[in-house]
Amino acid sequence: MKKIYLPLILFVLVIAEGLSINLLPDEIALSDYLIIAHWVLAFLVYIAVYYDTEDTYYAIAYAFIFGLLIDIIYTGVLGVYMFSYGIVMYIIHKLLKLLQRNIYVLFLFGAVAIFLGDLFIYMMYAVVGITGIIWQDYLLIRSVPTLLANLVFFLLLFPLFRKRLVRWSNEQLDQSN
Amino acid sequence: MRFFRNKRLFIFLIGFILLVALIGYTFRDRLELTLAEEIINDTVGWIQYVIHVPVDFTIDVISNIREFRNIYEENQILKEQVSEFRSLLYEVQEVRKENKELRNTLGLLESDSIRSHEAIHATVIARSPERWMEQVTINKGREHGVDANMLVMTADGMIGKVQSANQFTARVKLLTGFDQFNRISAMVSREDKRNIFGMIEGFDEETGSLLFRIIEESDQDIEEGDLVVSSGMGGVFPAGVPIGEVKEITTDQYGLTQIALVEASADMYEINNVVVLDRSVEKVENMDEDVDEGEDEEETEIEGEQEE
Repeated sequence: MKKIYLPLILFVLVIAEGLSINLLPDEIALSDYLIIAHWVLAFLVYIAVYYDTEDTYYAIAYAFIFGLLIDIIYTGVLGVYMFSYGIVMYIIHKLLKLLQRNIYVLFLFGAVAIFLGDLFIYMMYAVVGITGIIWQDYLLIRSVPTLLANLVFFLLLFPLFRKRLVRWSNEQLDQSN
Repeated sequence: MRFFRNKRLFIFLIGFILLVALIGYTFRDRLELTLAEEIINDTVGWIQYVIHVPVDFTIDVISNIREFRNIYEENQILKEQVSEFRSLLYEVQEVRKENKELRNTLGLLESDSIRSHEAIHATVIARSPERWMEQVTINKGREHGVDANMLVMTADGMIGKVQSANQFTARVKLLTGFDQFNRISAMVSREDKRNIFGMIEGFDEETGSLLFRIIEESDQDIEEGDLVVSSGMGGVFPAGVPIGEVKEITTDQYGLTQIALVEASADMYEINNVVVLDRSVEKVENMDEDVDEGEDEEETEIEGEQEE
């Protein structure tokens, strides 16, 4: 029963992303800067670091599922968020084998994941022709503001979920083994 | 070991093919979604609506508090405007009555006019976090009469069109996301001279305004501050919906036609309640079938078309 917590939280985050623009102050929302909420991706990094063990792939599986859900609900172009999130979580999973799991690594990976995830989305949209902006503009008006805004959200998750995720991981993954 | 390496490569290639196929299949503006997408959209839409209500309430309260500061000045301006509108209202009433009588004598029905429409009120329940998409989701769908390609407006003016309709929700593409495949046939009304006709050809990111290309045959004396409204000549949208105000006038890159930069009159950022307009007159559909008729009416062809 407790296994349903993670998908449920991710699902709530997907829906909350639809209201995310309302949270920005008008001055930023109306300016040229584009801030995109990657809350699902942020939470997936927590799952990868504190919930997954080396042999489990929950973060990657959830990345594909909820990436696809975002595609269906918010963009209509299927596959972009799905594969961006999926590939990013796969990279994070591989990197986690090299580094110890501690708070510095967590924030490093949070930043890397959000930056790479948004970059992949930009590259796919650029290839398809949905956006035509050059990469210098992309970095300035979208990548960096998005990264900073999502890192704030990433920090907020820390006190809420760090201990819980470790506890859930111990309870659920030990049982299944 | 060799086997595993091959397996990984295999999965990678399958994934890549799947990605290309998925995006290739879906990246165009689709009018019809697959059944699975519709079910997911409707289910999530219902939850979004439930969550939306309290969130909207709090946001409203906060913005109300902010607005208190300007209320006095606004009140003064509004009072002046109200007195102006009163005389206008009387005039409109008389003109409307006269119009009805004249229509009756001519034997035309009210619904024959391209101005007439049915309005469906809807609430915005979510906005795509992907800002390049410029989409919002509304809580009315096919069940309530909303269908693809209908015009969506707020009290201030047009904000976009229905991209695709599910059973109980619909996705609206905002004006700011319009490109050359989503043209609107529009016009500037003139009291004593001929009206100026043209087409809204999409949104220009650099200037943050809509491009209104004036067709050559019509009068060229467009001025800054003119109100651009939909003309209904595209065969899809009803006529007379305000789109925006002319901000600047330039020529196109060849110097042949005039282009007016139009600032949308509706606020594309803060949208809560919208009206979906269903044109009462039959829409121009089946355009592929009667090509010979469509060709001399260029506008008709382009606006209605979704897939090029």
